[in-house]
Amino acid sequence: MHLTVNGDVHHVDAPDHWTLLEVLRYRLGLTGSKQGCDKGDCGACTVLVDGQPMISCLMLAREAENRAITTIEGLMPHHIAAGGTGADPVQDAFDQCGALQCGFCQSGTILSAHALLSGTPNPSDAEIRDALAGNLCRCTGYTQILQAVQLASARARGVSPPPRSWETPPAPAGSPAPSPTETA
Amino acid sequence: MASRDIHGIDPPWGDFRHVGRALRKVDGLAKATGAAVYTDDISLPGMLHAKLLRSPHAHARILAIDTTRVRQLSGVHGVITGEDLPVKFGILPWTQDETALAVGKVRHVGEPVAAVAAVDEDTANAALKLIRVEYELLHVYIDPFESLSRHDPPIHEQHRSGNISKHVHLSFGDVDMALSHADAVVEGDYFFHGTTHAAIEPHCAVAQYAADGVLTLWSSTQITHYVHRALAHVLGLSAHRIRVIQPCLGGAFGGKSDPFSFEFVTAKLAMLTGRPIKLLYTREEVFYTHRGRHPMHMHYKTGATRDGRLTGVDATILVDGGAYSSYGLVTTYYAGQLLTGPYDFPTYRFDSTRVFTNKPTCGPKRGHGSVQPRFAFEVQLDELAEVLRMDPIEIRRRNLLGADTTTVNGQRITSNGIAKCLDFVEQASGWTTRRGRLGYGRGLGVAASMYISGTNYPIYPNPMPQAAVQLKIDRSGLVTVFSGANDIGQGSNSIAQYLVAEELGLALDQVRVASADTDLCPVDLGAYSSRETFMVGNALIDACRKIRPQLVQAVAERWQVDTARVRFVEGVVIDLEDVSRSMSAAEAFQLAEEKFDTLGATGAYNTPTLGGDYRGGTIGAAPAYSFTAHAVEVSVDVETGRITCHDVWIAHDCGRALNPMLVAGQMEGSAYMGVAEALMEDHDVHASGLHKGPSLLDYRIPTSVDTPALHALIVESLDPEGPYGAKEAGEGPLHPSIPAISNAVFDAVGIRLRHLPFTPGRVLAALRARQHSAPSGEPELAGGPR
Amino acid sequence: MLRLPRFELRQPTSVAEAARMLADLGPDALVLAGGTDLLPNMKHELFTPAVVVSLGRIDALRGIRAEADGSLRIGAMTTIADVAHSPIVAERAPCLAQAAGLIAGPQLRRAGTIGGNVLLDTRCQYYNQSYFWRSALGYCLKKDGTVCHVVAGASRCVAAAAADTAPALMTLCATLEFERAAGQRAVAIDDFWVADGISNRRILPGEILVSIRIPPTPPGHRGAYGKLRERGSIDFPLLGVAARLDIDAGGLVERADLVLTALAARPRRVSEASTRLCGTQPGTPGFDMAVQAVAESARRHCHTLSNLLGDTAWRQDMIPVYVKRTLQAAAAGGGPVHHL
Repeated sequence: MHLTVNGDVHHVDAPDHWTLLEVLRYRLGLTGSKQGCDKGDCGACTVLVDGQPMISCLMLAREAENRAITTIEGLMPHHIAAGGTGADPVQDAFDQCGALQCGFCQSGTILSAHALLSGTPNPSDAEIRDALAGNLCRCTGYTQILQAVQLASARARGVSPPPRSWETPPAPAGSPAPSPTETA
Repeated sequence: MASRDIHGIDPPWGDFRHVGRALRKVDGLAKATGAAVYTDDISLPGMLHAKLLRSPHAHARILAIDTTRVRQLSGVHGVITGEDLPVKFGILPWTQDETALAVGKVRHVGEPVAAVAAVDEDTANAALKLIRVEYELLHVYIDPFESLSRHDPPIHEQHRSGNISKHVHLSFGDVDMALSHADAVVEGDYFFHGTTHAAIEPHCAVAQYAADGVLTLWSSTQITHYVHRALAHVLGLSAHRIRVIQPCLGGAFGGKSDPFSFEFVTAKLAMLTGRPIKLLYTREEVFYTHRGRHPMHMHYKTGATRDGRLTGVDATILVDGGAYSSYGLVTTYYAGQLLTGPYDFPTYRFDSTRVFTNKPTCGPKRGHGSVQPRFAFEVQLDELAEVLRMDPIEIRRRNLLGADTTTVNGQRITSNGIAKCLDFVEQASGWTTRRGRLGYGRGLGVAASMYISGTNYPIYPNPMPQAAVQLKIDRSGLVTVFSGANDIGQGSNSIAQYLVAEELGLALDQVRVASADTDLCPVDLGAYSSRETFMVGNALIDACRKIRPQLVQAVAERWQVDTARVRFVEGVVIDLEDVSRSMSAAEAFQLAEEKFDTLGATGAYNTPTLGGDYRGGTIGAAPAYSFTAHAVEVSVDVETGRITCHDVWIAHDCGRALNPMLVAGQMEGSAYMGVAEALMEDHDVHASGLHKGPSLLDYRIPTSVDTPALHALIVESLDPEGPYGAKEAGEGPLHPSIPAISNAVFDAVGIRLRHLPFTPGRVLAALRARQHSAPSGEPELAGGPR
Repeated sequence: MLRLPRFELRQPTSVAEAARMLADLGPDALVLAGGTDLLPNMKHELFTPAVVVSLGRIDALRGIRAEADGSLRIGAMTTIADVAHSPIVAERAPCLAQAAGLIAGPQLRRAGTIGGNVLLDTRCQYYNQSYFWRSALGYCLKKDGTVCHVVAGASRCVAAAAADTAPALMTLCATLEFERAAGQRAVAIDDFWVADGISNRRILPGEILVSIRIPPTPPGHRGAYGKLRERGSIDFPLLGVAARLDIDAGGLVERADLVLTALAARPRRVSEASTRLCGTQPGTPGFDMAVQAVAESARRHCHTLSNLLGDTAWRQDMIPVYVKRTLQAAAAGGGPVHHL
């Protein structure tokens, strides 16, 4: 079969029952997409198929022919080819916000975030959470992930990102009570 | 020993250049670009794939195992059973009751019984189906109360106390007297259910046995050093012929801190076949391996004066250990020993019993042995506040331990920021104007806790350092740090970079870290008990302060000035009194190498002697303690019983935030995990011992839409013994979330949730019970609804 | 890694070609749509077909068309995401749009198809497990065994209907349009179900679901979907409620329908909805009382079982709550009913 991954066409020899994730990891050596739960419950295997985040452990590799597949490894080279330097801005924002603790869920999460920002450059918190609702993270509590997406969005629009709770200590006693629904 | 290990809280020269900043991690971009190598990403030429055959029975004798048909299957290169690895092991030297593959009997569903190595996983799976095992079924122990009294058949035949894994009874002061004289006494039963780590990366190991007889094991482990020792012990190899490497790791939370079956099996199969072996768990297998939070049935009785001063606490705890010991001895102690802060109470007694059951083994999960008692006690403290008509934050304030004191069970408290933690959450949540005033169905709750920052004792008793690093200083200006520490995502490698760059006055990109490789790195005991930053941090400063004088002296001699004038600032060396003079750090390194020959230094850390002077007194003793307070805001849908947690304000005293962004990340992740355990997670088995739902679909962890807003508020108490004053942040911030939710639900709808998890069904049942109870008999609710 | 069992994949490019393949292969072959249900089930060795016939290359099966007679025809391979985001589905069949939007998570909605969802295998906590787990259990009535672990001594399987779109389509009186080598067949979705968890549908060998036709809905048509689950994403329904109210020009309910799912093997209509709600006026006490009566009727006549992992008694208690909330949401032109 021929698979187009990160802009390159690969000839791959694999049995029909191999999933796209297995081919990526164990035939093409693209180990950035991760295996977390075997059957589509966690999102760690998320790749972009024609720009859309999909679960690669539930896609047959043969079904991915004639589609453009982007894995986490493809973002930086694409960014550089487009005239940028270093990591893709979304990857960079995740790094800058501390969103990569163990990092295992992040190839999937970053791709979901990347696709969101491509279509929705200024997403609300709720929109970010909804877009990432298929990517389980066990380390961050999603807070720094949200901040990373907000940062990437703010940078692209040339504005400042929202402040983070630990950047300023709470007001001293006697100050007006804060709004209870401030987001982190 | 102790004086060597106190480096002070102040920056090494001038102001901090790196410490205290929200810096990137050393491995952040590697992870973000998919370049970081995790264990399953490793592939070696000729590598075979191993699979484990697991027991379908919870308790059974193995009568026979027939592997003859397996050996005939094309593509199978090795098959082993318990006979091939009979040596017992266990993380604690006193309770080594496990074997890599079952010998004689199986004790829980999913216990490994045999293993195969084949050309690919499909063949290995097919091979497993050809193995015939004959079992004789035995009585299955599910209810821990049964294991207390019934010992026939024993789960562990050689265990002296039948099905009782460990019993601890400790008493400090006269609790009975204190409670009988108390103005107010609250007593109750509390239950904490089983939960598991559910790290996104399943366990994986790759083993290679070279022609010269050196074994290399790559493993997703938190404890390279202990695995190293266990491999030598079980395989009968000299430890110096074994190398253990921890690649990048996808989350652990305590679930990867035992030596495991799959590690011994891959090593053994590599030795038998002469080929590299990989074994990757399925998600289901991770559930059978477990080592998660011990379910605890707890009974607490607390007394106080009418002013809210605690007079005594009496606890009885039944700990459900599952099939093997693991860290259980420690858990049994921790269940009582870790409750004695942040409050001061003069008398205390706990009776803690851990039993074996035929369920996946329990072990350390974030906040090991401490989260469960903390839940019970913080709810009971709120109940006491209700009886005394006192605000829940006020009653806590009246009982706080201060700094530089000793707890009732002999633990040394040094830095202590709990008062500020309570202040912060009080302010951030608008507590004083909002609690009790949000209307029926919405409420605020508070809870506080204390946790160890490293422990006093190594897992195997020895007087050697608990943490160590080695520095290599290169002419290029690069410093390489060899650190034994296990970076499991918490950032211990990043901390190494920040501290070395700080101490030696370098730019961040002049420091690189190689870690968790037993060939290259000195021994560090591992990532557990929140010890890495504290202990490795001190070891790093120790090493740097050995090498720094050489660097400074070499420059001073070149410039012919006093050493006090020489300062390294982010990679540039300056003369404080002559701005025209400077050189690069690389040049300084070369000068020093010329003068002192090849440069290098080691640094180490060991805890001072700590703990009470009684048997078990060191368990729970730590060189420093972190402190945490949470306030949470919830709403309760009284028609469905569902609790929605909207906000968690987390105030955590981490001593000094070496990197506030990483500290905040730990605080948020911890709080998220606590909320998940309170509302959603449930690790449970059927009556047969079979796990009810061993998948991430059925074992539910919150998605991004299920998680509340988490507000991290950092408190710094500048610990005198932590590296620059730093203490832990990885486990403490989980504890208060769970009781705070229960306490918030009380504020919202006037029911007490003492039984976890807080399912909608339980909430509805409690609401109905409250409706039916006679209103006149109830104490007046402090700030609660009608 | 949980591996798929070996099979041969066929990728026909037309319905006729697919139908011929299925006719030739007989029971050795299964149809693959989006794969989000079949592939996990195959990893669990619940299905081990020698051949898998994928519909992925048949573009004719995709698309949402407004027909001249005012009906909607949705190709069976239209993704759940496309159904959820379709403005015309939102306008004409709001209950279906809401149900689709609540299925699984964002990635799975892009792969899953409406046809695959309607034909979703029934689910049970004793069935949707790995081969090892099921062998440890001793298997079950639905697969490889003879014992039901939900209802002691049961001779009929009670695995739960788990599709969210099915009850919505029932309130919309949808027709399922099939094609096989021997010809075409249209069946009203109400008539499609069998009270048997082993196979809860009346589908003929070699049949391919081609499209779903939704008859025209009147101007006053309203619908809403209520989904009970523990998390706000990913989870299957613990209870699903589809509600339909058609309001006439005078503001009265002229047609009402209520279908529940995630009980036993087939979605269940609550006929009381029609009898009680017709003639009432939303926003009045009369309507509210009728809703209450319908909710009470649903509670009495519909029963949750321990086929799904979770608190069965709580799910039962939620029947009247979600029925009431979903009917009120439909009346208000709102919905979905979901805890987040």
